[in-house]
Formats: sequence, C-alpha cells, structure tokens
Amino acid sequence: MRRMIIVLTLVTVLSGLVLAATFASLSPRIELNRERALQASLAALFSDVDEPQFEQLEIEEMDIYRGEDAEGRLIGYAVAVTASGYNGPISMLLGLTPDLQQIEGLQVVENRETPGLGARITEEQFREQFIGLDPMQSITTIRHVEPDPAANEVQAISGATISSEAVVDAINRRAEQAIDAIRDAEDR
Amino acid sequence: MAARSITYEFAKGLIKNNPVFVQVLGMCPVLAVTTSVVNGVGMGMATSFVLVSAALIGSLIKPLVPSEVRIPVYAVVIATFVTIADLVLRAFFPPLSEALGPYVPLIVVNCVIMGRIEAFATRNGPGPAVSDALGMGAGFTAALMVLGGMREVLGSGAFFGIELFGEGFTPLLVMILPAGAFLTLGVLMAIFNALKEGSHTVLIRAESKAEA
Repeated sequence: MRRMIIVLTLVTVLSGLVLAATFASLSPRIELNRERALQASLAALFSDVDEPQFEQLEIEEMDIYRGEDAEGRLIGYAVAVTASGYNGPISMLLGLTPDLQQIEGLQVVENRETPGLGARITEEQFREQFIGLDPMQSITTIRHVEPDPAANEVQAISGATISSEAVVDAINRRAEQAIDAIRDAEDR
Repeated sequence: MAARSITYEFAKGLIKNNPVFVQVLGMCPVLAVTTSVVNGVGMGMATSFVLVSAALIGSLIKPLVPSEVRIPVYAVVIATFVTIADLVLRAFFPPLSEALGPYVPLIVVNCVIMGRIEAFATRNGPGPAVSDALGMGAGFTAALMVLGGMREVLGSGAFFGIELFGEGFTPLLVMILPAGAFLTLGVLMAIFNALKEGSHTVLIRAESKAEA
C-alpha cells in the first residue's frame, strides 16, 4: 500500500519536473512563432505597404492593431475577430482603412474548417469580396447569384455555407464595436 | 515465451503485426489526420517518439511499479512524452502542429502505445522493448504515409504539397473527407491481406529462421 503511494507520487513529481523544464526552455520559441504568424498576417493585410509597423491599441477585451508605414503615416487598423466555424474557432484579422469607412481586407490566421470546403475561406477568391465593403453596415451572404458590393453582399462558398456565414456573422458582430473603440482610443 | 532476436522484434511491426493493417489499433489518428503525406508522416513520427520513449521507461521501471498502479503510472509516463512531443512540434514545426491540431494531445489515448507497453515492453528487457516499439512505430508511420499519400494524390491532386496534374484535373474531394479515409483504409487492408496470404509461406520460413 505504502509502496503504491510512493511510486505514484514519485512518477508524477518527476514527470512534472521534466515537463516544467521542457516548457520553460521551449515557450520563448513557441511565443515567437505565434508572434511571427500574427505579424505575417498583419503584413499580408497591407501587402502594398513596404515594411509596415504595427502597434496594439490599449483597448479592453479586443485585440486591435494600428498600422503605420516606414515614414510613420497611418495605413489602417486590424481587428482580431473570432468566428465559430464548422469544426472550431476561426481566428481572423479584419483590416480597416485609416478613415474606418471601408474594409481594407480579411486574413484568416487559424482555422480548422474542412479541407477543400470550409477551409476555402482562406482563398483569395472568397476573402477579396470583403475589400471595400462598409464595415458599419451589416454584410449579407448570398448564394448562386452574383454579389453586389454596393449592397454589402458577399457570395458564400458553395458547399461551405456554414463556414462562410460564420465569417460574415463574426465580422457583423464585431466591426461596429471595434470602430467605436478605435475612435475612442484615438481621441485620447 | 521463447526469447527472439532483436531484429525479429523490430521486423514484426512492419508487416506481420502491422499496428494499422493487422492489429487495427489507433484508428482515430489513422483516419483523421491522413489528408496529406506530411500530416501522416508527422503524426507517425510523433507517435513513434512517444511509443519508443514510453516503452523504454516502462520496461526500466517495471520492477519498481506495483501491479495495482501500473496503468496510472504508465498513463502519466505516456502523457509526459506526449506533452513533450506537442511542445517540440509547436516550437520547431508550427505549420505541422497547426495541421495536426488536437490529434497530438490525443496520442495519449492511442491504444497502440498502452497496448505495446502492457503486452510487450513490461514483459521484456529494455533492448527488445525499444526494438519492438521502433518496429511498431515504423509500421504505424509507414501505414499513415501510404494512406496520406493515396488520399493527397486523389483528393488534392498533389504529393508532398507539389501539384501533380494540370488544370484539367478535378480532385476527388471525398478522398480528403472522412469517408475517403474509410475507403482508402478498406482498399489498403484488402491489398495487405491479399499480399500476406500470398507470402504466408515465405514469412513462416523467415520467422523460423529468425527464431533459430
């Protein structure tokens, strides 16, 4: 009986120590990878700007980044948006123009959607539909017919309506709130 | 059980006792992550690492572990190596880690590992235990690679991410969806069994040689 307790305790303590050491030595690298992926997605939003710089705005409960070019001119904002997709969360970055009147672009940072169907939300053909839309108005998803950008419409990916609508819903839910927060933060 | 050579313990995992095609163990990752060759190989290597490490530790600590608590002890050992594998993947292979997603932590419950520890590693010395684990790991990785390869070629028209066919090729989408995993696995198992049947006599001869 006593031996059982000693062995089990020893094994768990040793495992804990090994894991703590591994985690401590690898976590800076893991953190760096995450930061790099974020920076790459941010840069991809403003791909026509050379060496864009991003700074996170101090806004509670929202991750919003302010982008500047090499000369320090404002190039726009990026808002982190999370949608509930078909297989789990879809994490995205929504780019906004400096005047906050238009959507600058959309990047999918992380997704678990079905390959070949829902995962096509990462393809340019779907993402570029959002460019130039009005972030203050609700975006609608349509099927089969050509979308009208003036009416804030995007076409759902055929066979992946759930993923497409999840992306649109998440933007609709977050955009207005984010724009208000950016205005507040920039007024200060 | 008669002692068999180290080479035999390794080789039996490749074909005769292949964990996927013969023992039909660990089907969850086999079916779920084999949408491409890279995913299959990555999953196979991560599982092999855990399998070999856990088999070594398992066979070494066997005399110290009272049999009543052996399952929790081995579960902790396996979970530790799985977490290490997960951290290493996240630190050095972020795209692969992203693609395998929750299936890396789930190696903990892969029955190939607990199965080999219970059935083999703790009943043999560290040498045969590691050899057996290496063989099972190699057999598992090879199976995932073949499965991933077939599904990637047919379902995405690519191999190792390189496009194979021109614009004219329409990928068979079903092959990278769950149904495609079952279809491919079924076909492969049929082929495997047919081959095994054919080479049965050869295998028996090789076996008796290895045992001698």
